[in-house]
Amino acid sequence: MAASPEQPAHATAGRGTRRGATPWTRRRRVGYAFVAPVFLFLCAVVVFPLLHAFWTSLHRVRGLASTFVGAQNYVRVLTDDAFWHSLAVSLEFTGTCVALHMTIGLGLALLLDQLRFARTALRIAFLTPWMVAPAIGATIWLWMLEPQFGVVNYLLQAAGVIAAPLAWLGVPSLAFASVVAVDVWRGTPFVMLLMLAGLQTIPREQYEAAAIDGASAGQRFRYVTLPNLRYLLVVASTLDVINTIRHYDTIGVMTAGGPAGATEVLPVLLFNTAFRGNRFGEAAAIGVLLMLIVLVFAIFHIRFTRADLENAR
Amino acid sequence: MKARRGYDRARWALTIAALLLVAFPFYWMINTSLKPASEIFLSPPTFVSAHWSLDAYATVLTKRPVGRYFVNSLVVALGTTLISVTLAALAAYGFTRFFPRGATPFIVFLLFTKMLPETLLIVPYFELMSDLGLLNTYAALILAYSSFALPFAVWMLIGFFRSIPRDIDEAAMIDGASYLQAFCRVILPLARPGLVAVALFTFLIAWNSYLWALVLTTDSSMYVLSVGVANMVGEYRVQWNELMAAAVIAALPVMVLYSLLERHLVDAITSGAVKG
Repeated sequence: MAASPEQPAHATAGRGTRRGATPWTRRRRVGYAFVAPVFLFLCAVVVFPLLHAFWTSLHRVRGLASTFVGAQNYVRVLTDDAFWHSLAVSLEFTGTCVALHMTIGLGLALLLDQLRFARTALRIAFLTPWMVAPAIGATIWLWMLEPQFGVVNYLLQAAGVIAAPLAWLGVPSLAFASVVAVDVWRGTPFVMLLMLAGLQTIPREQYEAAAIDGASAGQRFRYVTLPNLRYLLVVASTLDVINTIRHYDTIGVMTAGGPAGATEVLPVLLFNTAFRGNRFGEAAAIGVLLMLIVLVFAIFHIRFTRADLENAR
Repeated sequence: MKARRGYDRARWALTIAALLLVAFPFYWMINTSLKPASEIFLSPPTFVSAHWSLDAYATVLTKRPVGRYFVNSLVVALGTTLISVTLAALAAYGFTRFFPRGATPFIVFLLFTKMLPETLLIVPYFELMSDLGLLNTYAALILAYSSFALPFAVWMLIGFFRSIPRDIDEAAMIDGASYLQAFCRVILPLARPGLVAVALFTFLIAWNSYLWALVLTTDSSMYVLSVGVANMVGEYRVQWNELMAAAVIAALPVMVLYSLLERHLVDAITSGAVKG
């Protein structure tokens, strides 16, 4: 066990000087005993599989046999049009969803923040799409979007929006719009909750002062609400990008990437490459590339919230 | 005053319109689950039916393996919760009491692991579990779920344990308690509300998980609810009323439990993101 830098005097005070050790090294050892299990377990369930994923990305895996192929999987993935197409779909999907999550989420938060009663009940009600497993939510939407008997086609026809039933998940552009809509339904409450929490930290005096100065509702939003929420808006959108770009379940259940790859975001491409194409090396390479994209946002998020992490709560 | 009232009305009208949009899928899920099979394919569809019954639920629980899926989900989610919360409590105590300055780098590390794309990890998990012959076992699912549940639980509990003053356990030790006794008899009882909340969250996250179980189970008797329900869609002729009944069985407990947790929800999502 290494001597602590703060207690160099005890470095030489090993076993036997007193019964066991000095109080400081003993304290340290007890501390290690408390944190060691989690460390070992995390190494086993996160770090080791992660390293294994890197290893796989450098090999060609065929059943039990695997041969080292260096960067060949990466070259293959990066020269494959499917990857670049999928990256474009991912960016378009994530960009659209996050923009909608943020605007609608902020709008809902502003709406709920001012209500005088039933606030908790409404907050819970608005959160339900986010509570339910994404795979289950997607299943409900599969039924609602069903071309022949789905309620969405019926309602839109009844309202005169569409003339004939549409195959929502059968046409590329409609399928993309559909999975975006479902993800907006599922993901917006997360942003709404964050924004509600943020709105509650804005001092009322700032609004009162603005009102005394004759600011309109729009001006109060522009000059009081937005500046106060700026930090949170950045945090929420970064987290939302991270959560959306790696999300598999919704699209996995609804379209599995189809039709014609229109909804094949990177996580879905990865899944299809591994478990439909049986090309684990390439799938792992896609995973590593996806991780690098997520990492850019994660590092930004961590640097941005550094002060908060240090004194969380 | 009049303007204010009009403003309020508009606000309520908007809120209710938004609520209808948000809640409609759930209404449709329940409505469908209560219909007899013959009414599912009626056009126009019925929004309220005189034939509502619980038949689909009975069918799903007796003739379909949904009861089995439910038990699988329960075992895996409980196992994950037990392991995660136990280990997390030890670590949170260790970090806040012995290495307070080491806690921040560790939290950053946890944050990274929480942000890893799960699709990246399912590849090695599938390879490792099939090598170990652990596909289609609870053990595989519990280990896999721990990879995302444990970082979350440690992260949350460090927050809770930081709020318990260190004077309290130091006082206990001056009275002659060992570290372990101080932990078990003093800190754990004080941290109970936090432990319960974290345990419930861990349980729900595990319950709602889909991708891991999709990859690590191939035998339908080992499916968890999310996988079992989603797979019913691919069947030859989909019985939507049964499928929606199964969806209700998967979704309802989650909604109830999350509602109980409402007070902690913001903390769980924002710990580290919002102050105050």
